[in-house]
Amino acid sequence: MKNKLLYFLFLLLPCCGWAQTREMKANEIASFQKSLQQLVEIKTLSADFVQYKHLSFMKKPVESSGKLYLQHPDKLSWAYTAPFQYKMVFRDGKIFIDDQGKKQTIDIGNSQQFEKISQLVTSSMRGGQYDEKEFAVAYFKDGGADMLRLTPKLAGAKRYIKEIVLLFSPEDKQIAEVKLVEPSNDYTRFVLKNRKINTTLDESVFNL
Amino acid sequence: MNPFLTYSFFVLLLLASCGTYRYPNASGIREMAPEEVNSYYIDTARSFVYRAKLQAFRKDVNGSLLIKPLGREGCRVALISDFGQTLFDISIQPNGHELHYAMHDLNKRALVSEIASVFRIMTAQQHPTSALMFDDRAHYYPVYVADDCYYLMKGRKVERITQVKRAKEYVLIYYRDWNTAGVPTEVAVEHRKFPLAIDLVLDEEQSTL
Repeated sequence: MKNKLLYFLFLLLPCCGWAQTREMKANEIASFQKSLQQLVEIKTLSADFVQYKHLSFMKKPVESSGKLYLQHPDKLSWAYTAPFQYKMVFRDGKIFIDDQGKKQTIDIGNSQQFEKISQLVTSSMRGGQYDEKEFAVAYFKDGGADMLRLTPKLAGAKRYIKEIVLLFSPEDKQIAEVKLVEPSNDYTRFVLKNRKINTTLDESVFNL
Repeated sequence: MNPFLTYSFFVLLLLASCGTYRYPNASGIREMAPEEVNSYYIDTARSFVYRAKLQAFRKDVNGSLLIKPLGREGCRVALISDFGQTLFDISIQPNGHELHYAMHDLNKRALVSEIASVFRIMTAQQHPTSALMFDDRAHYYPVYVADDCYYLMKGRKVERITQVKRAKEYVLIYYRDWNTAGVPTEVAVEHRKFPLAIDLVLDEEQSTL
């Protein structure tokens, strides 16, 4: 009897998976795209984030957390507070870094990799700001949440990112999670909490 | 005259490259029963997460170094940036390595080999059968010799590994501190040929110890 129950549960597993993530229907895509328009209106964003780095050979992800501030069009402050203190500010074409008091500045022009990342992070947080020339876009429902899968089309981005998955909160339709999948299939998941949209940000968060 | 100069040059070159490295204050070498050294990274039930600070070719990179022992003869080592990007992911065996992934800009054969070599020295268990002798009685700790590496011991723990190539120090690994279980909590790597230095601090919460 116990075995039969186990077999039954095992047979149900794939159904659970399908129930969780499925492609959106045309009317759902239209409705979702409408909700994306409000993200384009995001001028500022502040949030706490938890970053989970998943590697295939590690049982548990490497976790770090911090605070992010975004001000459209080109200011991003990304500060880790645990388990270490490390702050990066992307502004004026430069990256300003404060590593526990040790400060340095990197010209983004000299670091294509950083430039790509900051663009991806900024556009991901604003959800609607993706370019269909750069990404193939697929729409999904993940439980009650809307999910967007962006697959880079350009060779430059493909070298670093296999796909970007954006998960939107069912409650407020804002970005709740960003997942950056690497070509090796290892990935980093950013979970955003305590999101505040279009509040006035103190300019000091973009200074070091 | 010219053949003589050429000959002299090659003799000098040969002498220079065949010069032997002399460990500071060592007076000789003695045979001994095989000793198990550098056994920090052999327990497959463990995984180690180190906060890593790299200075490589005048560039600073911060991130994490992940070490997963695969047995007594190998480890999987990955270096990830703070943003979560995988820079390297390599399985290291005693006589080779397997590259699982390297970020596009860093995927150069020589660079990957050098990185694998550095982490092989750091993580590989050795069984030396010789040790250095010192006339200086002030020298308290033994130094074991295996292949091209010298293992300076502090009690039963390796405190420093010196890899020597062509009679010169090549890579130095310093184990600076340990937790109560004997796991290295602070490690420094210094490359003497290339401008590469790595400082590692164990993140005990994220490690499985």
